[in-house]
Amino acid sequence: METLEEHLSRGEASRDEVFNEKREMIRTEKLVKVFPGGNKAVDEVSFSVYEGEIFGFLGPNGAGKSTTIMILTTLLDPTHGKAFVNGYDVNRNRKQVRMNLGYVSQVLSVDDALSGEENLWLQAGFYNLSREERKKRVNEVLDLTGLQQRRKDLVETYSGGMRKRLDIAAGLIHRPRVLFLDEPTLGLDIQTRREIWSYIKRLREEAGMTIFLTTHYMEEADQICDRIGIIDRGCLMTIDTPANLKKSLGGDLIFFDFAAAVTQGDMELALQKLGEQPFIKKIAPRANDQNGFVAVSSDGEADLPQFFAVLEQLKVKVNRVTLKIPSLDDVFLAFTGSELREEHADKEKNMQDRFTMRRLRS
Amino acid sequence: MNVTGSALLRGAYYVFWRELKRLVRQRTRIFMAVFQPVIWLVLMGNMMAGLTANPYAKQMLGVDNYLVFMTPGVMAMSSLFGGVFSGISIIWDRRLGFLHKMLTSPIPRFSIPLGKIWAIVMQIFMQMLIIIAIAYALGVRFVTGPGGVVVMLVFCGLLGSVMGGISLAVATAIKTPETLFAVINFLTMPLIFSSNAMFPLAAMPLWLQVIARYNPISYAVLPMRTLAATGWIWPDLLLGFFMLLLLNVVILLIVYHRFEKGLTI
Repeated sequence: METLEEHLSRGEASRDEVFNEKREMIRTEKLVKVFPGGNKAVDEVSFSVYEGEIFGFLGPNGAGKSTTIMILTTLLDPTHGKAFVNGYDVNRNRKQVRMNLGYVSQVLSVDDALSGEENLWLQAGFYNLSREERKKRVNEVLDLTGLQQRRKDLVETYSGGMRKRLDIAAGLIHRPRVLFLDEPTLGLDIQTRREIWSYIKRLREEAGMTIFLTTHYMEEADQICDRIGIIDRGCLMTIDTPANLKKSLGGDLIFFDFAAAVTQGDMELALQKLGEQPFIKKIAPRANDQNGFVAVSSDGEADLPQFFAVLEQLKVKVNRVTLKIPSLDDVFLAFTGSELREEHADKEKNMQDRFTMRRLRS
Repeated sequence: MNVTGSALLRGAYYVFWRELKRLVRQRTRIFMAVFQPVIWLVLMGNMMAGLTANPYAKQMLGVDNYLVFMTPGVMAMSSLFGGVFSGISIIWDRRLGFLHKMLTSPIPRFSIPLGKIWAIVMQIFMQMLIIIAIAYALGVRFVTGPGGVVVMLVFCGLLGSVMGGISLAVATAIKTPETLFAVINFLTMPLIFSSNAMFPLAAMPLWLQVIARYNPISYAVLPMRTLAATGWIWPDLLLGFFMLLLLNVVILLIVYHRFEKGLTI
């Protein structure tokens, strides 16, 4: 398969046309992974990620997020199905797939015994970059991740956030077309997490990179992903933009309690008037509360003033109003259910997690 | 995936570079690598030095100075220990995620063990030069001189590479260092005591002599001892060299297969 540059150089299509075609950077077709022992980690997962997109895989622990990433990065072979990265088959064109992708694993994979610069130098060596090119790129990614000042220091003296940034820098050294980030902010404090988000956004803006990330932080998925796939027990439950996913739950919820002094007749009149408003989809009484009701509105924040205006007109008093905009948490729970998962613990996995945490917290 | 020679060597070079950088920064590891053979030479050498006063023992050892007998044995043992722990680095790389990093990069998988083996061999060369210097200070003189030392280094390198290969091959299937340590202990002690590293073949019961003769360590010790005490006896040297070379080829093929096909990630 030809690269975008080759395609453009033939002059048959302008860059815009190519982008309008929404070039598929990742594509999976009915991907299945069954581990020895029968554990089906990924079950007929099909999706596409387009150029320049930040795509998030959201799911509870053990849902199959990391397994999918490991198949796409050629670490694991799929049992059935196909997967492509920038058009290359992960089974057949592994070398091209590897040249096209950057991978930042869940585990901190920088070498603590080397300096930041040495880690990057090594990584550049793995990708067979020339000496001058290496110097240039090492500088470039150090600037991008703000580690220029500490380049000569051993990584064991870095903070957790700096290590993660170095890890991401290493994944960028060969200017991959697709960057895979497996739980990029796991175990980081909120400031560092936001900092990492801003780096991820910059990568897309400045380098036009396609980014595939997994996370189980709702806030993270909501803040930085253009589209989200929710995966549970190996199955892809849904794919859409965060806004559409939230909309799919029906709308925002306005909880309100009438004042105790309001008569039954006034209350009924008020409910009828409110129900007639076009922005109110539904009104229902709340359980365990005689004066409490909930209204579903299409856009809560914009509708709330009108909601008050109606009540004002009728001179009906309300004690308390709460607006609840469905969060991704609600979407997530709607698709994955809320029961606790029985995870089969893997001793080595636990050990890895503990090491990662310790290194991030230092 | 097609493994091209140059990509393989280039990949191995970077793995080797990393291992050396790490080694240089681990002071205790360097210290132990030097200190352990010193203990062997000084303590064992002193304890057993009286042996050469006994004419029968002297005949079995084939030397006037016990240390001349002992030095090649200590060199072989140190090479063995140098190599046999190399698998641990795979387990740590896996745990710390560096293995994944190397596996998702375009370097051929076989580059990883190959680079690690090169680093082990390099480490063994340094260690051997130190041991030889210490032995020299203790009065040991090799009859073949500096030429003999160079050939001895080759034997130590070949032995270290075999043991490193075995360790790396085992580590592809093992996830915890504890398990690998158990396997290493299970392997090394019998290997040492059933070889001619510490005791002359002539002093062993017949059954042990048979085992000792086919023990890979003996293939390194015998020619080294010849170089140290007797001289350039080519049949001894060539037999040892080709046997170790053959073993290397076999082990590297196994390692290649394990890393390309059977690596636990």
